[in-house]
Amino acid sequence: MSARRTQSQRSQWRLRVTMLVIIFIVTVFGTRLMQLQGLDPQAYAAKAAASGVVSVPLPAKRGQILDRTGKALADSIDGRMLIADPLATKPYAGAIAGVLSKELGLDYFDVLAKLSKPNSRYQYLARRVPSTQADAAIAAVKATVKALIQDPKRKAMPFGGVYSQPDVLRTYPTKDVASNIVGFLKDDGTPAAGLELAFNSRLAGHDGAETYEVGSGHRIPLGENSTKAPVDGEDLRLTIDSDLNWYAARVLRTAVQSSGSESGSVVVMNSKTGEVLALADYPSFDGNNPGKTKAADLGSRAISDVYEPGSVEKVLTVSALLDQKLVTPRTKLKVPPTLPVQDRVIHDWFPHDTIRLTLAGVIARSSNIGTAMAASQMPAHQLHDYLSAFGLGQRTNIGLGGESRGILPDYRSWQPVNEATIAFGQGVSVNAVQMAAAVNTIANKGEYVSPSLIQGTATTASGDKVGTDTSTRHRVISPAAADQMSRMMEMVPNPVTGTAPKAQVTGYRVAGKTGTAQRVGAHCGCYDGTFTVSFAGFAPADDPAFTVYVVVQNPRNGGGGGSIGGPAFSKIMRYLLSRYAVAPTNTKPAHLPIQW
Amino acid sequence: MSSPAATPRRLPRPRFPESARARARLRAVPVSVSTIPRAGFVVLISILLMAGVVGLLAFNTSMQQASFEATKLDRQATVLAARQQALELQVAALRDPQHVALAARHLGMVPPPAPAFIDLRTGDLLGVALPALPGDAMRVTPLPAARPKSLTPREKIVKVTLTKAQLRRLERDKRRAAQDQAAQTTKQGSGG
Repeated sequence: MSARRTQSQRSQWRLRVTMLVIIFIVTVFGTRLMQLQGLDPQAYAAKAAASGVVSVPLPAKRGQILDRTGKALADSIDGRMLIADPLATKPYAGAIAGVLSKELGLDYFDVLAKLSKPNSRYQYLARRVPSTQADAAIAAVKATVKALIQDPKRKAMPFGGVYSQPDVLRTYPTKDVASNIVGFLKDDGTPAAGLELAFNSRLAGHDGAETYEVGSGHRIPLGENSTKAPVDGEDLRLTIDSDLNWYAARVLRTAVQSSGSESGSVVVMNSKTGEVLALADYPSFDGNNPGKTKAADLGSRAISDVYEPGSVEKVLTVSALLDQKLVTPRTKLKVPPTLPVQDRVIHDWFPHDTIRLTLAGVIARSSNIGTAMAASQMPAHQLHDYLSAFGLGQRTNIGLGGESRGILPDYRSWQPVNEATIAFGQGVSVNAVQMAAAVNTIANKGEYVSPSLIQGTATTASGDKVGTDTSTRHRVISPAAADQMSRMMEMVPNPVTGTAPKAQVTGYRVAGKTGTAQRVGAHCGCYDGTFTVSFAGFAPADDPAFTVYVVVQNPRNGGGGGSIGGPAFSKIMRYLLSRYAVAPTNTKPAHLPIQW
Repeated sequence: MSSPAATPRRLPRPRFPESARARARLRAVPVSVSTIPRAGFVVLISILLMAGVVGLLAFNTSMQQASFEATKLDRQATVLAARQQALELQVAALRDPQHVALAARHLGMVPPPAPAFIDLRTGDLLGVALPALPGDAMRVTPLPAARPKSLTPREKIVKVTLTKAQLRRLERDKRRAAQDQAAQTTKQGSGG
């Protein structure tokens, strides 16, 4: 009986002790929990994070900008940024700066200053270095520093104080070719110009992030881990042919430099589809190093600069007259030496007595007076509507930012003298792409097709959908009128009749028109004695494949559209025809009388 | 029915012999407990525990090993990707039309003066075939940079008047120079 009693007492005692222990433990845990979560949770969370939780941004790959063949015009590669910890680099700053200036071509003194900056632990040394180069540079720094470290413990694991982090590296393999349309990125990776800017939201994608725990440089398995995958940017495919664009750019550069001109642009279009195959500007810049170029040359002049088109515009006026059947290529005109209209007197570029020109002759010889006389048969509003249908005074919406609309004054404000001058290209202004598209209407049998630079569709920063899929068409003149106009334009490169014999392409029928226009000065708002010379044309004339427009600003060698624009046009057209294997049509070239 | 009080108090007790009573007394049923040896059980549990611990350790170690491997492969992938990109850049540089044009020019090539084709089915020539001449070459490199004016010092003309002695010396030097030149030409003439 007494033995049983002691046993029950003992078990009760044990139960109590266990209870006490449990209460004690729970209290300790509870107190700790209160301390951690209640008193200062942020500080502890930060401490935990610092002890080994790493959060790494996962940069999205920026989409490429490709030409029509899939060749990259802008490409993103994995670059690295080099960062220094001045606390560690200070004792060896001289040696490290020497290595970096040798390996990466950085400025020695600039790097030296950064490496020995007091009270800093983070200094950018170089950005967007190709990763192979960055790794080599860091290895070289480590090797150099290792030789200088005295402490054997540190010598075993040399740090050097220079390390790298991922950084986007945007390269432009074609350098100064097409850079005017492609644009470039600023040092901080934000877009600054061109398509890079206009389609940034499409190209950029969305960065992701990854958080994980590390221990001595390795990820801890089963540790805290969360990943938000980056969404890479979409590619942008252009209608540009980069080889052709290079050729056009070089021909243009030669034309601009040899005529002592200020600048120039070339637009090459597929006549039937309106695709822009080449869009070259000079002066240009290298997208890999835009800082070396003047700000004025960083855009696309073909889109942003407006100028008076001059005689090339006669093509549009005469097309309108032909479409209204007011004239034919054989319409006879008695062209006086001068033509007084209101208070002004219109002159021709060549002095002459009264001459008897046909309308074809007016185009071939580029007579202002003849064009003004012919255009006087058409009411102002009608001419205005035609020019508007040709795309003048409206943006082409090709997809590049900063496009200027050009100026086509409202017909209600036109005086008779305005109508006369607008008929031959004075008093209206255009950009090069607009003018190319307008002349292309003749090549495309009278149907305007809006030019496009992007294949498929893409949405610009301003929300417009652009590209070949959204290209629009509308009829401006009848196919018969376009054919008559094309035949008249064939008289221009004709050495016997025309103003631009150098625009010929041996073996092919070429139609074209020269333009030499006075330029409106930037300061006075008047004609300042400088000129814009241009040449627009297409070939083969009876079945046009390509339209090429060359415009050169302010030549100082006294040349005109025929002598500067013509040869450049011919070279580019020759290259185009052989590159795209367009055989001659072998039809009889147009022969129209130019005099009567 | 009569009340319970009315029932007889004493029931007749059944009479059993003492021995039977003794037999009938309740007793604990002997439980046949299968006795497992205590030591064996402890060993089993220990083994299980040890196996668990060792297994966990092995699992952890292998995970860690896999993590090392992953890190290593990751680095290798990065290096290889970088190399691929470097090579792609190199290809792009070689495909650059400017590079190709310079190489072509180095070989003496020029753009054709007129496009012409041969129809391979019939052997007909389409277009006008013209020979490419050096004159068809075009410049593909930028113009050489102009020499800045500051690098070309302006000619400075200093007028001096000579004394008679100086004039005489000048005459003599001129004469000697002329003689030397004459001697030189005769020498060359005889040599040739």
